[in-house]
Amino acid sequence: MARNEDRQLYHYTCQLDPPSDDLFPCVKVVQLTSLRPTADLFCSLLRDALKAELLRGQMKSVKGFVKTCYSEMLVASGNEEDDRDGSVAKAESMAGNSSDSMYLGGLGLKFKFPGDARKLREASKTKLWTTYLKAHGRNLSLVRYPQCTRLVQVGLPNRLRGEMWETLSGSIYLRFSNPGEYERLLEENKGRTSTSTEEIEKDLHRSLPEYPAYQSEDGIGALRRVLQAYSFKNPDTGYCQAMNILAAAILIYMSEEQAFWLLDVICDRLLPGYYSPSMHGTLLDQRVFESLVHRCLPIIYEHFMAVDVQLSVASLPWFLSLFINSMPMVFAFRIIDCFFCLASQIASLYDAKSHIQTIAILKINGEKLLQIQDDGGFIHLMRDYFSSLGASAHPESSDPRARAITRFQELLLVSFREFAIITDETIQAERRKFRGEVIHSIESFSKRSAVRNLKTLERFTKEQAGSIYDALFKAICIEPPPATVLPPPSLLTTKENSEERPETRVGLKTFKVFLSEIATWARVEKIVSNGFQQRAEREVAEHEFIDRLFFFWDTNYRGALSFQDLVSGLDGVMFNDLMENIEWFFNLHDKNKDGFLTKDEVLTLSESLLFIFRYEVGDAYLGAVSRFMSNAFEYGDALLPRPEGADPNSEATTPIESNQPYINLATFRMVVLADEILESFFETDFSSTFKLEPVPMMDLPPSHTGLLGSLWTTITSDDNRKILNRFTDEVGKSIGKHQVLYRPAIGKITALEEPKARESLLTPTMRRSTSKASLKSAEDILVPSSFSAPANLNLSEPTSSIPSAEYSPMPTMFEAARANAAALMERTPFAIDDAKDDDEDTEEDTEGEEDDVMDEVDAFLEAHDSGLSAAEQELAQDLIHAEPVK
Amino acid sequence: MSDPSGSAADKSVQVKLVLLGEAAVGKSSIVLRFVSNEFQANKEPTIGAAFLTQKCRLEDRVLRYEIWDTAGQERFHSLAPMYYRNAQAAVVVYDITKGSSLEKAKTWVKELQRQANPNIVIALVGNKVDLVQPSASSSSPATTPEPEDEADDATATPGEPSAGGEPESLRQVPREEAEAYAQEAGLLFFETSAKTGEGIVEIFTEIAKKIPIEQILASSRGGAGRAGAAGGRAGAGRTEGGVSLEENGSKGKDACNC
Repeated sequence: MARNEDRQLYHYTCQLDPPSDDLFPCVKVVQLTSLRPTADLFCSLLRDALKAELLRGQMKSVKGFVKTCYSEMLVASGNEEDDRDGSVAKAESMAGNSSDSMYLGGLGLKFKFPGDARKLREASKTKLWTTYLKAHGRNLSLVRYPQCTRLVQVGLPNRLRGEMWETLSGSIYLRFSNPGEYERLLEENKGRTSTSTEEIEKDLHRSLPEYPAYQSEDGIGALRRVLQAYSFKNPDTGYCQAMNILAAAILIYMSEEQAFWLLDVICDRLLPGYYSPSMHGTLLDQRVFESLVHRCLPIIYEHFMAVDVQLSVASLPWFLSLFINSMPMVFAFRIIDCFFCLASQIASLYDAKSHIQTIAILKINGEKLLQIQDDGGFIHLMRDYFSSLGASAHPESSDPRARAITRFQELLLVSFREFAIITDETIQAERRKFRGEVIHSIESFSKRSAVRNLKTLERFTKEQAGSIYDALFKAICIEPPPATVLPPPSLLTTKENSEERPETRVGLKTFKVFLSEIATWARVEKIVSNGFQQRAEREVAEHEFIDRLFFFWDTNYRGALSFQDLVSGLDGVMFNDLMENIEWFFNLHDKNKDGFLTKDEVLTLSESLLFIFRYEVGDAYLGAVSRFMSNAFEYGDALLPRPEGADPNSEATTPIESNQPYINLATFRMVVLADEILESFFETDFSSTFKLEPVPMMDLPPSHTGLLGSLWTTITSDDNRKILNRFTDEVGKSIGKHQVLYRPAIGKITALEEPKARESLLTPTMRRSTSKASLKSAEDILVPSSFSAPANLNLSEPTSSIPSAEYSPMPTMFEAARANAAALMERTPFAIDDAKDDDEDTEEDTEGEEDDVMDEVDAFLEAHDSGLSAAEQELAQDLIHAEPVK
Repeated sequence: MSDPSGSAADKSVQVKLVLLGEAAVGKSSIVLRFVSNEFQANKEPTIGAAFLTQKCRLEDRVLRYEIWDTAGQERFHSLAPMYYRNAQAAVVVYDITKGSSLEKAKTWVKELQRQANPNIVIALVGNKVDLVQPSASSSSPATTPEPEDEADDATATPGEPSAGGEPESLRQVPREEAEAYAQEAGLLFFETSAKTGEGIVEIFTEIAKKIPIEQILASSRGGAGRAGAAGGRAGAGRTEGGVSLEENGSKGKDACNC
């Protein structure tokens, strides 16, 4: 490496010495003009990359690899025959002589290439390329100079075409670094069938059927293997019609393995989304194309609008099959030459090219297009134009040279000259513009068809079913279901099987996410305050109840739910009245469907209730569940069929095993109705925890002017946020300001009046467990403490923090309830998760409780005084002296 | 060509017709048979959609079918509304040797009935009856008598095991079942063979009879002349070498002679 100092700019000349002369008999000189640090950086990166490359040991495989490239042979033969025409014939005799020349080629070698070699001036093209490849490297190490592009535009020689496509598109590097991958894919999936393989079989004989190779097993077999290998490698994309045409076309020029990698590059990188099941790439590019026509050829565009002709009716097949089945093959391949040549690392350049080409086509036919009145006329005109591409563009011209210009040449000329303004950036910008729109229309389409394909809407309206679909779709995005496992291939295809339409089914994991979109109790919504910031968080809840629901709705025992299952399942719960809800809840927990709950099931049911009530304010619900349990056991014992002859008054009844039938629906109903809270829960509250509307963003008090408020807004990435959140939480905990508020699932009881428990019908043994005081204290604690968060301090209206009244400190209800059940309603104080302002349920000492809270507010404000403005301090003072909100 | 005088063009009624159905059931072949009276054993799959036109005489009227032949593969489904919008007629095709294709056809019917033009005339067509007929017997009398010398002896979907043994055993969709469904859903029903030509013309004849022509005329009045002019040129582009309706017409069929 040499460097020349030239004021501030440095010219770096790197000479890449070939590792061995026979391998790369050319020296590459890279001259870099840039600022010194940039140049230094480049050199060090280059050095490291080269070293890493050597360490990977792939250099060893290069020698074998390049033998598969025709270019090597071309250059080798050219070396010896420098002064003679580097003709194909000579090259071929070389191939025959030397044993280790085993370049890969396509079906064309055996079945002839399309077009007349003489007319295509194969020999002179080959000669030009030989010279270029010798001077500027080839295959893996090709350096592209402008001359390369020009040579490509003239058309590639047939034998070199496959390799150049590979090189220009970059797929050669994939083939180089994944040796044997193609064979491995085929071997591992041997005999496997899928929807894709079935569809491939249908189309094998329908891909360029006029080309001789595709009338023989040679060609068909190659095509089958390439398409199948691709579908195995990319099961999501699988197989899309048009890929068969593409693959058939490239197989004429390249070997199966080469074609496989090229197809991979085309589908994944050059035309992303074109062949995906939603075909979003195609639809997007149609929109982009229409918009470009609007910009570049406004007259034509307006005419089309006026006669209501959609451009895409004609252009869509062009884009999808790269003109291969629209134009005569010879011309289509030359367009593909240009495409690959312009397909740089930035894939979209390629798209720019196909847009340009298509617009040029429209432009050339502009006058005729203006006479077109309908879709049909448009398509016919285009078809005529394509079939006449070989004809002279200026047949009337007196100049024989002008007459010799074919329409195809004219097309290329117009494309590259006049529409060079359409750049990569233009296309990218247009794509961004339309992406949202296209995605939206695809989504709404698939939504409509999913809703339409439901066997029954049950009692939902179409809009409601649409909302269910939205929730499902969102859940699938968040938690993709495992890839559908195809049933093992069977020889017997019964009618029932074939009628089964493939449908999306979701597993338990996705179901949880789905449910969290619908049911309030299936998500954890909390507001975390840690003294620095306040943030809303939402998580998917985990509970056995949700698992139970999943299997309850899985009526076909598939271990997965379809959209229909979800609709039917929700229907079974959302429209229920009191009695139906009680029955539904009972059945959900009656595992063996014998009409009886066992003792264990009663406990599970209570846990389910507690799960749903876990974030309710106060302990009215907790009390209700406790009463439910004690009543259930009391009724259950009382109504139990006693063994004959036993003394009904005897205490020593035979103990009921926990897994024996214990209470039936009627008893369960009676127990539920004995409690006002539970009755209200089953009457309306439970059904209304299911909401078929998008979950609203959690409403934080709209201020982030806490200590880290401005920092907060500048943090954009989720990862950063998580880190900051964790950090502030830690700090918050250490200074005792960490507080988590949960939103209750029902949120009905925020007022202070507590529903009174009904007296038990059998025995008045129930202790009045929950007191007004305890509920009141919970309220009192909640509201001022939410005021204490610094984020709220600058609020002009303290009332605007009302949303947080919906949130309650989390009582660890489960533990509490279990203890309750065990100790027969002995109250245990329950701790609040991480919160300093513990929700001590001391039943009398509300006064002291409040004092504690006020102390806390003081301490809090003092701790953060420094960050407050004068006005904020004043407000804070006011708050301190204000009466606690009731 | 088929339409020498300008006045006849004025009288012609344009009917937009769309073909729908699962992949490789023979949609394109049906159109090709109708438009050009040809059959290609290995027809390339339709990408997006193909467009063809054909004229058809019904009593004193000339109908000009504008046929949109759509791609069958599932993922092209989302493009279909682009083609069936404003269609007056739809031909939903299934393969009688493939049970699942009838199911797909049913979903198409459902979609059309909900989303397409409310007066759309829908025909349900079970194709490939030649596969279930004993190969010895000649095709049905409705066929155009020109013998088509095809390499294949059946329109079996390429790649599937060719018809061996009892031909009737290949049938997976009983005629009665499909017919009952068609009746229930209010569809025209046909069983056809694009290979032999059996029943193809009838589809288009019956559709022509059922279409509310007066309504179309009323709605497109004013635009009809213009459309006719464009159609004349378009027709010249495509149907050249194909079967001219009027010339080919005297086959004893009373209505549509294609």
